Amino acid sequence: MLRNRRKDALVAAVLVAPFLAIYLLVFVWPTIQMFGISFTDARLIGSGEWVGLDNYTRLASDPRFKTAVWNTAYFVLLTVLPGTVIALLIALGVSRLTGRLQAAILALFFLPYILPVSVVYLIWDWVLNFQFGILMHVFDLLGLDRIPITKSRTWFMPAVGIVTIWWTAGFSILLFLAGLRSIPAEIYEAAALDNASRWTTFRRITWPLLWPVTTLVFTIQLIAQLKIFDQVYLFSQGGRPNDNMVLVYYVFQRAFQQDQGGRAAAVAVTLFVLVIVVSVLQFQLLRLAGGRK
Amino acid sequence: MTASGMLKAAIVATIGFAGVARAEETVVWWDFLSGGDGVRMKKLIDDFNAAHAGQIKIDATTLEWGTPFYAKVQTSAAVGEAPDVMTYHASRIPLAVQQGVLQELTAEDWSTMGLGEADFGQATWDAVTIDGKQYAVPLDTHPIVLYYNKDLLEAAGMLDENGKPKGLDSREGFTATLQALKDNGVKFPLGSVTADGNFMFRTIYSLMGQQGGELMTDGEFLAGDNGEKLANALGVLAEWTEAGLQSTYTDYPATVALFTSGEAAMMINGVWEVPTMTDLAAQGKLFTWGAVELPVIFDQPATYADSHAFALPANQGKDMTPEKRAAVLEVVSWISKNSLFWATAGHIPANGAVTASAEYAAMEPNATYSSLTANMIFDPKTPLAGVAGPIFDVMSTYFVPTLNGEMDPTEAVESIKEELNAL
Repeated sequence: MLRNRRKDALVAAVLVAPFLAIYLLVFVWPTIQMFGISFTDARLIGSGEWVGLDNYTRLASDPRFKTAVWNTAYFVLLTVLPGTVIALLIALGVSRLTGRLQAAILALFFLPYILPVSVVYLIWDWVLNFQFGILMHVFDLLGLDRIPITKSRTWFMPAVGIVTIWWTAGFSILLFLAGLRSIPAEIYEAAALDNASRWTTFRRITWPLLWPVTTLVFTIQLIAQLKIFDQVYLFSQGGRPNDNMVLVYYVFQRAFQQDQGGRAAAVAVTLFVLVIVVSVLQFQLLRLAGGRK
Repeated sequence: MTASGMLKAAIVATIGFAGVARAEETVVWWDFLSGGDGVRMKKLIDDFNAAHAGQIKIDATTLEWGTPFYAKVQTSAAVGEAPDVMTYHASRIPLAVQQGVLQELTAEDWSTMGLGEADFGQATWDAVTIDGKQYAVPLDTHPIVLYYNKDLLEAAGMLDENGKPKGLDSREGFTATLQALKDNGVKFPLGSVTADGNFMFRTIYSLMGQQGGELMTDGEFLAGDNGEKLANALGVLAEWTEAGLQSTYTDYPATVALFTSGEAAMMINGVWEVPTMTDLAAQGKLFTWGAVELPVIFDQPATYADSHAFALPANQGKDMTPEKRAAVLEVVSWISKNSLFWATAGHIPANGAVTASAEYAAMEPNATYSSLTANMIFDPKTPLAGVAGPIFDVMSTYFVPTLNGEMDPTEAVESIKEELNAL
């Protein structure tokens, strides 16, 4: 069929234009401005004087920035891989169920994901609260000492990590389930005819065919967890905010509490670059690892 | 209907409305009062609207206290979308002035309101003044006080003939009272918000003030022996924790719950919890209770206080009409002059005429603790101070471990000093 290429291109442009306009206006343009502001001493609102690289060089000797980098890295370590593995295991389990039971169980696992973070915080505060938390009463029953979980440096990040996995696993489970369902049943039937064991079936069929989804889940998790803020902010309210500092929290603190837009922008740019580098690197590595098979 | 028909209808409707909307000014109002005091403020607003029917109407919205409120005010003022009037903490005024968020209140404004320096306490007036200019009208001062459970204290023999706790005059005396309560089987003699360093700033700053200490002198934090005074203040509280005399790792709601359920015999908390107590007592769900000025642990009485004030945001690119400004000033003035009812929220009205009234003198427990107004200390005047400000976060990070026996007070003070001066 003959097509008018020029006309097609025009239609495409018209269809893409609204998205492009909004994308440029509310994402690209502010990002460019953020880079600009990071070289000034601007307050939260308005412009400032050019200060060159000052905002960046002072990060090197800024103890709170160091705490933030360390805590963010620690949190990523605690949540990304464990979160992906747990979601995969649950998805494998759920996929063995059928019918209504499967739907019901899936709904149970997905339920936390639809909760707003403030509700998640409240639920877990009722569990972990030192004076009234349910978990503390369990500790009492077992004869253990109560632990001020959200107020101690040792337990804060692991606790927030567990809460985060509990909260967000549902979405990863859905992705894994979709991946599992897209593997044709004939392959499993063929494997069954060949008398393949369950483990072999998983290792030789499920795992390699699921690899693209695993890569995707892992990358989504990594980016989301590098941007951790809400849970840390809520759980450290009134507690030890500066000990629990993570990068986005630090941006918030500099910008909204200390009215230092320039310094906040410098931290934000650093995080932006970090997220890009880490996720591109990670995605490429996983792709290579997958390709080798 | 055709397009032109719709346009005509719209024009007619607009003209019609313009004709109906006469002189009534709507004053857009934001506050952060969501607790028991918020309920009382709503009543005051309703009373105002009733008294000014057809002239002025307050359109009030309550927002989240703390950083969310102040971030919203700042961003909305920058684009001309801030309200006409809002509540503001006096401790946040230095930062607000630096940010250019507030309008100055001129001498003319004050005379329109029929209020002035003479109507307020010196410390309160100073708290809203920066470089000789006023930026807000104080509504109240809200200090912290010592709440106590009369039944438990009486059972331990720790109530004096005036029905106040014994040992309010010295560190040894107060510790002895706490110990006596403990010996008498009280689980937590003192309910303390030990999980919330933000909150404990108020208590600790008071204890510093009791030694004549200051947080900031000549732009430097904890200079000279002020660091030592902070360490002393932390030391007393750490000592009570070690002796098992106060609740550990307890956050704000839990502290109030420990006290109201009778597990904690005393509690240091803001006067804004008075409505909680009066309301519970009215329902017959509370023991006999009282509230007094903080015990004098060191050399002199001193109590931390902040002030709720009314401020006019500096809306960028939007000039207030003289009629609107007059309406706003009337709102502020009327509420200030009718703030006796506000005292039922526990706060001490800032307007001197109100606190001098016979009705106020008869109001309990306010009358018992209002002696503390002579000993009030406010936050240092710096853009870093104020509720939910940067000083709070630094302090909180070190207060929590110190108050719960994880960190040595002198070590905490060293780190606090370093971090504060690096802000």
